[in-house]
Amino acid sequence: MNQQQQPATGSQPGASFYMGQRLEMEYLCADCGAKNEIRPREPIRCRECGHRIMYKKRTKRMVQFEAR
Amino acid sequence: MSSTFKTLKRERLFRHPPQNGASLPILNELVIPHLESFNALFDDSGLPLGDGDGKGLLSLALKDIGERVVFSGTSVSGGGGGEKAWGTRMRIWIEQVTIARPMVSDKDKAAKERRAFPSEARERLTSYRGRMSVKICWQIENHGEVVRSTMRDCGLVPIMVRSVRCNLRSMSSAELVTHHEEPEEFGGYFVINGNERLIRYLILPRRNQVIALSRSSFTNRGPSYTPSAVQIRCVRSDQTSVTNTLHYLSNGSAMLRFSWRKQEYVIPIMLILKALTGASDKEIFEGIMMQDYENTFLTDRVELLLRSYKMYNLYTADQCLEYLGDKFRVVLGLPEDWNNRAVGVWLIQKLVLVHIGFSREKFKVLLFMLRKLYALVSKECCVDNPDSPQNQEVLLPGSLYGMIIKERLEEALNQVRTQITFDVQKGQADFLDNRYFNKVLSRVNFDIGAKMANFLATGNLVSPTGLDLQQASGFTIVAEKLNWQRYISHFRSIHRGAFFAELKTTTVRKLLPEAWGFLCPVHTPDGSPCGLLNHLSRTCRIVTSPLSVSHIPQLLVSHGMTQSFASEINGRKNLCVQLDGKVIGWAPPLLAKQLATNLRIWKTEGLHSIPLDLEIGMVLPSHGGQYPGLYLFSTQARMMRPVKCLANNRDDQVGSFEQVYMDIACTPAEIEAGVSTHVEHAPTNFLSILANLTPFSDFNQSPRNIYQCQMGKQSMGTPSTALQHRTDNKLYRLQTGQSPVVRPALHNTYGMDSFPNGTNAIVAVISYTGYDMEDAMILNKSAHERGFGYGTVYKSYPIDLADMKGALKGSTPTLHFGIGPDVRMRKGDYQHPAAETIDWDGLPFVGARLAPGGLIAAYIDDTTGRTRFVKYKGDEMAYVDTVRLLGGDAGDSELQKVHITLRITRSPVIGDKFSSRHGQKGICSQKWPAVDMPFTESGMQPDVIINPHAFPSRMTIGMLVESMAGKAGAIHGLAQDATPFQFTEDDTAIDYFGEQLKSAGYNYYGNEPMYSGITGQEFAADIYIGVVYYQRLRHMVLDKFQVRTTGPIDPLTRQPVKGRKRAGGIRFGEMERDALIAHGTSFLLQDRLMNCSDYSTAWVCRTCGSMISLGYDNVGLGSTVLGAESVAKPTGPGGEYCRVCRAAAEEEDQLARQSLANGTSEKSVVVGDVRVSIPSTNFLGSTSKGGDLDVVAVPYVFRYLCAELAAMGIAVSVAVE
Repeated sequence: MNQQQQPATGSQPGASFYMGQRLEMEYLCADCGAKNEIRPREPIRCRECGHRIMYKKRTKRMVQFEAR
Repeated sequence: MSSTFKTLKRERLFRHPPQNGASLPILNELVIPHLESFNALFDDSGLPLGDGDGKGLLSLALKDIGERVVFSGTSVSGGGGGEKAWGTRMRIWIEQVTIARPMVSDKDKAAKERRAFPSEARERLTSYRGRMSVKICWQIENHGEVVRSTMRDCGLVPIMVRSVRCNLRSMSSAELVTHHEEPEEFGGYFVINGNERLIRYLILPRRNQVIALSRSSFTNRGPSYTPSAVQIRCVRSDQTSVTNTLHYLSNGSAMLRFSWRKQEYVIPIMLILKALTGASDKEIFEGIMMQDYENTFLTDRVELLLRSYKMYNLYTADQCLEYLGDKFRVVLGLPEDWNNRAVGVWLIQKLVLVHIGFSREKFKVLLFMLRKLYALVSKECCVDNPDSPQNQEVLLPGSLYGMIIKERLEEALNQVRTQITFDVQKGQADFLDNRYFNKVLSRVNFDIGAKMANFLATGNLVSPTGLDLQQASGFTIVAEKLNWQRYISHFRSIHRGAFFAELKTTTVRKLLPEAWGFLCPVHTPDGSPCGLLNHLSRTCRIVTSPLSVSHIPQLLVSHGMTQSFASEINGRKNLCVQLDGKVIGWAPPLLAKQLATNLRIWKTEGLHSIPLDLEIGMVLPSHGGQYPGLYLFSTQARMMRPVKCLANNRDDQVGSFEQVYMDIACTPAEIEAGVSTHVEHAPTNFLSILANLTPFSDFNQSPRNIYQCQMGKQSMGTPSTALQHRTDNKLYRLQTGQSPVVRPALHNTYGMDSFPNGTNAIVAVISYTGYDMEDAMILNKSAHERGFGYGTVYKSYPIDLADMKGALKGSTPTLHFGIGPDVRMRKGDYQHPAAETIDWDGLPFVGARLAPGGLIAAYIDDTTGRTRFVKYKGDEMAYVDTVRLLGGDAGDSELQKVHITLRITRSPVIGDKFSSRHGQKGICSQKWPAVDMPFTESGMQPDVIINPHAFPSRMTIGMLVESMAGKAGAIHGLAQDATPFQFTEDDTAIDYFGEQLKSAGYNYYGNEPMYSGITGQEFAADIYIGVVYYQRLRHMVLDKFQVRTTGPIDPLTRQPVKGRKRAGGIRFGEMERDALIAHGTSFLLQDRLMNCSDYSTAWVCRTCGSMISLGYDNVGLGSTVLGAESVAKPTGPGGEYCRVCRAAAEEEDQLARQSLANGTSEKSVVVGDVRVSIPSTNFLGSTSKGGDLDVVAVPYVFRYLCAELAAMGIAVSVAVE
């Protein structure tokens, strides 16, 4: 996928950072609740129970909105 | 009812659902007819056997489908003789149908749990289906008689949740919770593409019961047809039905009508009678007359009937059968080697009185039908009302499902036959080769699963026979979980039929006394489906299990009934005794009555193994009433309800047919000695569950209770206790639901506290601010800030990359969720806006806030390498609540589909709708500051203020009583019982609750002195203030408001478009225009209809008045175009001219010149235009020749109209002054 990169993106330091970030995401199995690390383009399947639905974990970012 | 709220008990139950059994068993009873009728499809249904052998409907259907026969055309080698021209005979039939439980696909090796559960289907937006397969057998006759068989896959069939084929079957509440269901989950629905859909009950004519009809439309059937007829809807054991109608002709004879593959056929009844048993004319005459020879009306007609048959010259049964077979051979498509007689026998067996197996019994019922028909014609009996529940039963979901499967199987089998016949014609068929047969099977579409899923998803019935139903669509509905009350109502709703919705007459919608106790008189929508869409009463059951009744005829005979085959029965003195549409005997009225009483005693006491669900309809002779007889019913799909039998104080079940002839007291006090035979268990049993939940509904005017049944279903409440596993398109949730202080006893019975639907509010009835006119209500601003009525809307937002532009069908996906390197995600100056909401995996952060038009997901396109974004299309701020990554069926596919649940906060705002439980709805008009609210002597302030004018005309006294009861309950800590029909004239509710208020130190009648929040002065009148349970309805301004100044326009007319979704406007129509004219507000009129709509300017020719003939000469300011012979072409200042007028002027000019030149016909050579710098106004006498135009302001549509008219050859001329 990286070969098809646009030449004009100009984010060479970003690319490595981006590669490091995107390697795997942790999801929760909808059936057994196990943590699953799934890389992009990997099948959606729980390693523990084989279930086919994953939940995305709540963001670790600060969630702050103006209370108005 | 206990007067506590049982808070701890409820909490314990919710935290620890029972390990064995359901937390609320009564909820499972709601859907028993759905589940059991579905279970009845299978051999292992778990239902009692009844008189059958326990075979499921599918097995019975297979038996009825029978076999198909094909011939090889030529004798197969070694076939031997006897085949004549047909060749070798092959029989094909379906031996067995199996439907398995829903399982994880075999391709998925990783799944530890092989069973599939409904929650997965819901969350993955797929269907909950089990595999269906059939065993097809075939046999080639005269070839060793070997039966060969093969299994054929029929695809995945949707399975009803919690049925015998569901993996949740018989799970306890605790187990259900571990499988992501609610502890109260009761099933009864199908999961189709993630939606819960159910097959709605439909009202059908009562089966196996002869109904007398009179319809003027019958006369249109042909010459000498009269409006009179009798009809019987005969049902086979596999629950498929055929309707037979017997028409009376004005010549005294009768015609039998039935339909075959949507085509109607009529046969003289004599032909059928003769064909059935070969009865002689005398037998038929005696059979109809039944010794009633003085009845000349009857003798005349029977004589005519017999005479009219003479012309057929058919005397024996065989002759008749052959005649019938000959006529119907082409239509029926039976094996070619059958003779006409066999075809005739088949016709009668499959299409005439199909609920009876034996010809002799069919003959008797036909005679009975004839007698009833003649009685109807002679006005001895009246017509039966097909709209009355007395003559109705219910189409059960499972039965319909079975009928469709049967038809699909039959269709597939027929296809196999046609396929082979086709091959035979081409000479490609090889009967002896198993591979050939399998090849044929592979060419035939056996995907019944897809067809069933389509039926459930659309509710449309695709059927060559029509299944003897009056409608072809609208069978299924979505079980919306808007709130709990709406959800459970779906399972109790019963529809009259789509056909009746179009009917202009309102007779079908009438509330009939016969419906008492079966259909709720209160719970029906107002508006177009009123009276057609009903709901079952709370205690109404639908019989689903087969009963064992085969011993009843013998039992009745032993108690004096004359056997049906006895000769010489006097029809005048004897009543017909029928069991499920079969004549089982005859008895004089007195004996029949005794038999009916005996049966009732036996069935309530369980003697002689008479089933409790037997219906005993004793219709005694009357003058012009219903046709008398003793009619017994034991079949499924009947409505029955429990009452108490007074004779022995036992429980009795009463059906809708017999109830008409019974005396059932509503309360023990109403029992009339010697008249009443039964008494209701509770006086509220005739109400549906929802109608029962209206507190003090007996104090209200009845339409208000109808409104409450509607609004209860529209309120924001608690839709489900498993919210995080739900994927409904839209869910409304009330954050601050409370248990009502005032509740009927059934509120506890049905566990409604698990699903609170509103909030207890302090309500003052006072006209205070002027903002409470016309049903508006004022909300205390502080109550609002404390969370009164705070709600949330959950919306589904599925994103499927397969539907995106650029997705390739069928191959490996080219679109992948994620963010490519072309998007700058790092913090900094050029950070992409997506970084705010979207994570590295291309999915939104859980908890992110989305603005309208914001980015919700990102995906990379492999072909271009670019990242593309999915926008949030809503027009409200939303929060990402859940992000579900949905895998494929086999768990081996990468992420292509996500389901995002968005949470939209809906704090109450001005314009939101609220209602009490008494049909008193109102719109919040102001959030009034607490300091300005009136207060009582104890310092209490109301949460809600309503106007006293809401009461006098609506007469919702129940709300006033609730207010008092709520106030007393709140101060004493009591859960008040609000069951209707508890108080009497001597023991009034006002006194009961007045005493409670008094003991708490309040005014006896619930009113209190109050002080103005603005002036601090005491009001002159005491104010009625108390506690009322308020519901917040889902109709909210945020979903409805529609304003625009400028916006999208229609390209054709340039007028604003309509529709809220497209940012359109609201039409300012003729009547609104009239109002403005009447007010003389001409500027406003101009502004609305012109300036804010399709204002445009147009050139009009002053000469000819045309608006469509504008032309331009490209001239500079103050110059003119000179045409041929240097004549100035007149134009306006900008070079504009009227093409029509200029052409006319030039022609005129030309003619003038020619006549001047004395007839010389020399054509002037037209020289091209020359431009000179003199304004056209400076030319003499040519100003009015095409150059005199004016600009006018006209609506754009007017210009469009002119153009359209011109296209039709009509010129529009506008006079400009």
